[in-house]
Amino acid sequence: MDKRVVIIGGGVAGMQAALALKERGAEPVILEKEERLGGKLRDWHRLFPTFTPAAEVLEPLREGIARAGIEVRTGAEVECLSEGGAVLRGGECIEGGATVICSGFDVFDARIKEEYGYGIYDNVFTTVDVERMFNEGRVATAQGGVPQRIAFLHCVGSRDEKVGAHHCSKVCCITGVKQAIEMKEMFPSAEIYNFYMDIRMFGPGYEELYRRAQLEYNINFVRGRISEASQTIDGRVQIKAEDTLVGRPLKMTVDMLVLIVGMKGGSRNVAFAGSGGLTVADNGFMQPQDSFLGNVSSGRKGIFYAGTVTAPKNIGESLNEGVAVAARVASYLGL
Amino acid sequence: MAYYDSFVIPFLAGTVFMFAVIAWKWCRWIWLLPSEDKRAISKGVFTSATPKAVWEVISESLLHRKIFRVNPLLGYMHMSLAFGWFLLIVVGWIEAAVELGAGTPLHAHVFFRYFDPGAHAGGNPFATVMDLLLLMVLSGVVLAWFKRVRSRAMGMKRTTRHVLVDRVALTALWFVFPLRLAAESFMAAIKHNGGFLTGGLGDLIAAHMDPAVIAGVNSVLWWLYSFALGTFFVAMPFSRYMHIFTEIPLIFLRRYKVRSGDHTKSFDNFQIQACSRCGICIDPCQLQRDLGIGDVQSVYFLRDRRYGRLSDKVLDNCLMCGRCEVKCPVGIELNTLRSNSRQERVDSPALTRYDYLKGTDRSSGSGRVGYFAGCMTLLTPVTLRSMERIFAAAGEDVWWADRDGASCCGRPLKLSGEVNAARRIMEYNKEQFAAHGISTLVTSCPICLKVFREDYALEGIEVLHHTEYILRLLEQGRIALNAGDTVYTYHDPCELGRGSGIYDEPRQILGMAGKLVEPEHSRSDAMCCGSSLANTVIDDGQQLRIGAAMTTELERTGAGCIVTACPLCKKAIVRNATLPVADISQIVAERLQVSGT
Repeated sequence: MDKRVVIIGGGVAGMQAALALKERGAEPVILEKEERLGGKLRDWHRLFPTFTPAAEVLEPLREGIARAGIEVRTGAEVECLSEGGAVLRGGECIEGGATVICSGFDVFDARIKEEYGYGIYDNVFTTVDVERMFNEGRVATAQGGVPQRIAFLHCVGSRDEKVGAHHCSKVCCITGVKQAIEMKEMFPSAEIYNFYMDIRMFGPGYEELYRRAQLEYNINFVRGRISEASQTIDGRVQIKAEDTLVGRPLKMTVDMLVLIVGMKGGSRNVAFAGSGGLTVADNGFMQPQDSFLGNVSSGRKGIFYAGTVTAPKNIGESLNEGVAVAARVASYLGL
Repeated sequence: MAYYDSFVIPFLAGTVFMFAVIAWKWCRWIWLLPSEDKRAISKGVFTSATPKAVWEVISESLLHRKIFRVNPLLGYMHMSLAFGWFLLIVVGWIEAAVELGAGTPLHAHVFFRYFDPGAHAGGNPFATVMDLLLLMVLSGVVLAWFKRVRSRAMGMKRTTRHVLVDRVALTALWFVFPLRLAAESFMAAIKHNGGFLTGGLGDLIAAHMDPAVIAGVNSVLWWLYSFALGTFFVAMPFSRYMHIFTEIPLIFLRRYKVRSGDHTKSFDNFQIQACSRCGICIDPCQLQRDLGIGDVQSVYFLRDRRYGRLSDKVLDNCLMCGRCEVKCPVGIELNTLRSNSRQERVDSPALTRYDYLKGTDRSSGSGRVGYFAGCMTLLTPVTLRSMERIFAAAGEDVWWADRDGASCCGRPLKLSGEVNAARRIMEYNKEQFAAHGISTLVTSCPICLKVFREDYALEGIEVLHHTEYILRLLEQGRIALNAGDTVYTYHDPCELGRGSGIYDEPRQILGMAGKLVEPEHSRSDAMCCGSSLANTVIDDGQQLRIGAAMTTELERTGAGCIVTACPLCKKAIVRNATLPVADISQIVAERLQVSGT
């Protein structure tokens, strides 16, 4: 049987899958739409809950790919699936004995929640913007000032019926805690608020970090979502919210409002489903065969999944799925 | 008794029963009308409203002109049955009066051929006319059968699913005219009193059948014909065919300005029972089109309400977009009836919950013009900012009613049937508007606009939607636009278009800003965005699907930008669109000519 395996997406799941498949004797080819491997992690600065630099995860993976001589096609955007592979924009078909879809997720477009003023008010940012600023080494308000008060808003584009996102994006709670701590370290005198519905600390070390954020870093957690934001005359952001624990509405002016944006299903999922006979789940992510023994299988012969294409996951989970899918593909190919 | 035969008994019994029931219903409904409606009637009777109503009865109840506009074949079907049957009765009555003399009993008119006293030398001109009319009705019956099989050919993708009593009445009705044809033809075989149709068939029968057999079949046919009529008449007042007579008083009452209102009343019965269940309301419904929900449309709502088995599932599952209302050939106030049904059921929340509003005033600024953004505009701040720029450019002093938050306009509560609670909020807002001495109230939200105009009774304050206000500023030369070559397409919000009749203002503004292309469905036929506050049954995913379908239509126009004039619609379209989406105020604000430069 054909030992070539088409891997759609060169993020952490795709790279890990390629490495593990190569070890098992397969010939993986990674199709990456960007010019470099790394996926969303390329834009991240440090990783929760350990503040590990993203490069410490990315570089070994990239080096491993290079060392193993794995074929990588960058700038290769997959349009849809074909019988036994994928069709690139431009029409070229890349085929093999199996296909692994590791195309990941899309970041929720915060502009859709117009009431928060992203793209309208100067000092409204997303968590993605904040990581970029961390990477650039300079965090400042739009006016170039040092922020004295920063508010983080959880669940933007997650658990929000109004934007058709019922699901929990899972990793944003801990991302908000992580970035709040990083901000506090950068601006020790700043007041930092996290507005949340629930804080969901599902991973090892997460709950501990959340406690430290409160005890050591004096970050304020307010249970209640921000209802709307407006810009003050001096370019700051006025927010209205309700502190549901004391049952009172509150109004606050902040220098920066950071929207903790959620994950949504990839925009290519519908095309993959249509061309590959696959299913898109109600939440917009791809539907794996089941949540247990078939969690990296698609239910269609020769098509597999790894990483956030099927659900929100953290980096560790995506890396594990890269290994898991390699085992499944290898046994499918009889390697 | 002259002109009597026992076969007329089913017909007579049915007729007496039908008219007794109808008279009982009508008298009861009229009796129970609130006194202001009774006054309106007595004021209207001796005015031009009455002749206008007579003409409307002819053109709608008999000729069905509105249905012709839906589909000519469908219109002909309804007209041939209604007008054809009506003429059969009238001409038949005249013929019987001429031949038998005045004062003959009713059944002698209806079964005239049977009681026809003599042979007509040289042919009977009445018989020819009556045969022509019978042929016309029969063609309607044939089309009705055809519609059962191929409704699409008659302009309807979907037709109504009928209840048992409707099926009984329908079956009886289908039999009435073929049986009449057969009975009159056999009679013509004996008496030679038919026209070209019944006479011709009669000659054929006489030539090929034994006279004894003809006589036997003839008497059976007249029994069957009378029985079919009787069955139809007995079922009629309880079936959809009640519309035949009910539409007539409805037309008169409507001409006398009687309307349904926030609370249910006996006039509603005239509207509900004037529904013929034609099903024209089903195809325009987007719940049907996009979600495949096929049991909540107005026809089913009216039916269930009439038979006292209205469920919340049917009542609440409606966008109240009004697409069916504009298509209803009977002109029934479908949205009003639905909302007063909701009101009927609602257990109003404690009204003291709105006491906190007393004495609060979060408004700012002052001026003769008040601006009420509305909750949804506050959630789409680009619109609010654009309005700020437009007001500034026009040099308008503005009283900002709710820029810093305020109470709701009350319409969402009203739509869910909580009329009393809504009234509390309305009173508070009214006091605010009065206290700040404004003479014009501008709002960016069509939902607020509708309730301000229809329920607030704001004396001395002109209520304008921002499209109307902006157009006025442009026409007065207080602001001017830099025209560009952007191609816009415009989505008519339900509450602004069908709800408030504002179609031209936004189009004129966009015409000044750039080029305008229309989507497939626009103006009174425009699609709903799916996010309507009126529907509390469908979930967000279903709203999204309705929104996606209408957004696709907007994007197919080839426009470079989708424009609307309702914050709720904007939010719905943004979720689905790949093109930029803007409120009309944003387009205006971006294209404002800066004075003095």
